Amino acid sequence: MRLRRVASVGVWGIIVSRVASVVVALGIGGVAFALCGYDVGRLAGDVVSASFGNLFGIEDLGLLWSPLMLTGLAAAVALRIGLWNIGGEGQFYAGAIAATLVGLHVQAPLWVALGLMAVAGFAGGALWIAVPAVARAFWAVDEIITTLLLNFVAALLVGYLCTGPMRDPHQAVTAASAHIPYEIPPLLDDLHWGFAVSVALVGVVALLLGRSVWGYEVRVAGSNGRAAFYAGMPVRVRLMQVFLLSGGLAGVAGMLEVAGTVHRLQGGISNNFGYLGIMVAALAGASPLGVLPASLLLAVLLNAGIVLQSYGVSSYAVLALTGLVLFCAAVGERLAYLRMRPAA
Amino acid sequence: MDAAPAVALLGITKRFPGLVANDSIDLDVRAGEIHALLGENGAGKSTLMNILTGIYQPDGGEIRLGGAPVRFASAADAIAAGIGMVHQHFKLIRAFTVAENIHLGWGETPLAVSAAAMEARTRALAAEFGLDVRAEARVEDLSAGEQQRVEILRVLARGARVLILDEPTAVLTPGESTRLLENLRAYAGAGRAVIFISHKLDEVLAVADRITVLRAGKRVATLATAECDKARLARLMVGRDLAPAGGRSPGGAPGEVVLALEGVSAQDDRGVAALRDVSLHVRAGEILAIAGVAGNGQRELTEVVTGLRQVSAGSVRLGGQAMAGQGPAAFLAAGVGHIPEDRLRTALAPSLGVAQNAVLRGYFRPPCARGFRFSPAGAMALARRIVGEAQVFVPNLRAPVRNLSGGNQQRLVARREMAVATRLLVAAYPTRGLDIGAIETLLRFIGEARDRGVGVLMVSEELDEVLRIADRVAVLFKGRVMGVFPAAEADGERLGLLMGGQAEAA
Repeated sequence: MRLRRVASVGVWGIIVSRVASVVVALGIGGVAFALCGYDVGRLAGDVVSASFGNLFGIEDLGLLWSPLMLTGLAAAVALRIGLWNIGGEGQFYAGAIAATLVGLHVQAPLWVALGLMAVAGFAGGALWIAVPAVARAFWAVDEIITTLLLNFVAALLVGYLCTGPMRDPHQAVTAASAHIPYEIPPLLDDLHWGFAVSVALVGVVALLLGRSVWGYEVRVAGSNGRAAFYAGMPVRVRLMQVFLLSGGLAGVAGMLEVAGTVHRLQGGISNNFGYLGIMVAALAGASPLGVLPASLLLAVLLNAGIVLQSYGVSSYAVLALTGLVLFCAAVGERLAYLRMRPAA
Repeated sequence: MDAAPAVALLGITKRFPGLVANDSIDLDVRAGEIHALLGENGAGKSTLMNILTGIYQPDGGEIRLGGAPVRFASAADAIAAGIGMVHQHFKLIRAFTVAENIHLGWGETPLAVSAAAMEARTRALAAEFGLDVRAEARVEDLSAGEQQRVEILRVLARGARVLILDEPTAVLTPGESTRLLENLRAYAGAGRAVIFISHKLDEVLAVADRITVLRAGKRVATLATAECDKARLARLMVGRDLAPAGGRSPGGAPGEVVLALEGVSAQDDRGVAALRDVSLHVRAGEILAIAGVAGNGQRELTEVVTGLRQVSAGSVRLGGQAMAGQGPAAFLAAGVGHIPEDRLRTALAPSLGVAQNAVLRGYFRPPCARGFRFSPAGAMALARRIVGEAQVFVPNLRAPVRNLSGGNQQRLVARREMAVATRLLVAAYPTRGLDIGAIETLLRFIGEARDRGVGVLMVSEELDEVLRIADRVAVLFKGRVMGVFPAAEADGERLGLLMGGQAEAA
């Protein structure tokens, strides 16, 4: 048998290669655990039953899935126009800050307040990426560096706010803001409506990219900015819009986390969702619909981490496993172009 | 029986995924001979030469030098064996001087050497081989012809007994070409073997002793030049007879002025003046050809008349409408189609499908769009029509456009742009890099646009082509218009002088 390269791979080829990559990565991880003396069968069984075994598990999974979906969508939409938004983490924080400020200071009926918080969350995330957006669109400043650096600024800002001006005076120990009086109502017991909002946003962005004139322009500009300019498209405007949309989506993820799960602003609230979102987008091949399974996979891995820790496995094991998945996916993407053929 | 040929390729076969690039090709080149290798794009010329220069390993067959079998594991082996190649795209370091480029990566360069010593060695080499180069000049300051001489000198200095030139005249003025061909004669006369790759039939007939024609990876014929004429060679290359295409407009006075430039100046990407005080006009139903050696302002001219570049002085008018400060969208709306010189870099989104690229200029109107909504089905229908008219044969319109051959990409862009060019069609080097069959199609497309009453501004460096289909010719040199005259009054010699910057005595 000889190998032969094909010129292009369809959607199914990509899906098959992704699934195979994940299986291989988990297999390698399993071998590593087995070598360390763990009972891999039981470990895997526990992870599956913790994630899917009962309604509580599924709902907990949903609470991880939902923010990963949005931060993944944020990174994916930026990738479609050729931008690497590494700053999902910072925009998540900024959205959380803005939503908390609104939640603590606006008095309105629940749904109105939640609506305002969502708008504030989007605006906060968009504002956080605005400087990198302008710098990139007008002076070609690399957005990878600027968005990344602003993550640290945002994390420190949250730390300052929670220990300083926004600190809850009634709580002596923890560094957190006061409790927000508005909570997103539950969809099931624990899982709140934010999950449905996240799925809906994925659908909206998928339609926007695939079925709108705007989305076509974004896709052309992402493939070849010069061709987009040649075709008469407002490339700079699209670049800015995609930046703001990307930041805004990460900001909404922050708002949902505040209003649905944590109910106050506190340090570490982003839980690395921003960074993991980049991985989600890469696994999804920057496809909005691909974000759904990719973010589910990472949610399961995060959940697995919790189970593994109960076995005394370091929490870094899960980070290593996610890295392995991404690595295998990158290899699989190249291998997808190879086909076997009988020896000549 | 002659002595063994300088180079013999016997049954060379090379397979790539999905195609046989070279199928058992035989080629022998004698010392003292100029042997032309002729063929359409994709006929296998480059692959064969990459095998001879050690870049590829053949899957089958044998290379013999002077009768002795050799095997090249790398390009360095081939150079050591006396095989030298001058590539179409020069492989010089632009920031280095000529002398530095000559000595770069050369075993005979002394370990410690001063700039003056290198220049002296370079001058001695230049004198030995009769090549006029300035040893101390930086390569980036040289013309294409001078750079090519540096490339040739570099190859000859390394003791090449076999000299391969890949489309060497593509970047030269007619005068420079003549000089190159004379030099090649001299090298062959000194007992070297010269392999000359080209698809310009005139040149091949003028300089070669023998001609080998490749088609679809196979050798079709090896002929003495005396037995050949253009028609026969073209038939061998393409495998069928060619209908004569193009032709000047069939009388009928051209219509009103569709494009007018008054005193236009513009800068290139580095901010250097590229167009200086250019005044030109194009009428409906005529073809104005811009002749000139590439890099004399043609690119900037096509960009200025399509909205891609703003003028620094002067005015551009389309059908009487001033276009100052307008971008590509306004020019598109005014009925300007644009076939740019670098289609994959400028006119196509490589990773998107063929269909998505076919609708690049009409995506915002029906049938592709209704208001804000984009309809993939409508886009597919429009794309099918454009792809059909462009005679692009692809099994799958969703496959990425970068997978298409250069000729198919060019036909696709040309048809797409003709559909939007209701007033003016700007075509930059529309036939560059295409094989004979595709050239005829492209020129026919352009002729059709003219016959529909569209004004055509065509940039080309193929004088044959210009003289055949243009109504008027303007020559650009260093950003200035050297002269504009009816194509019927132009001839190659006069154009060549103007392209080289020689002003006409009034």
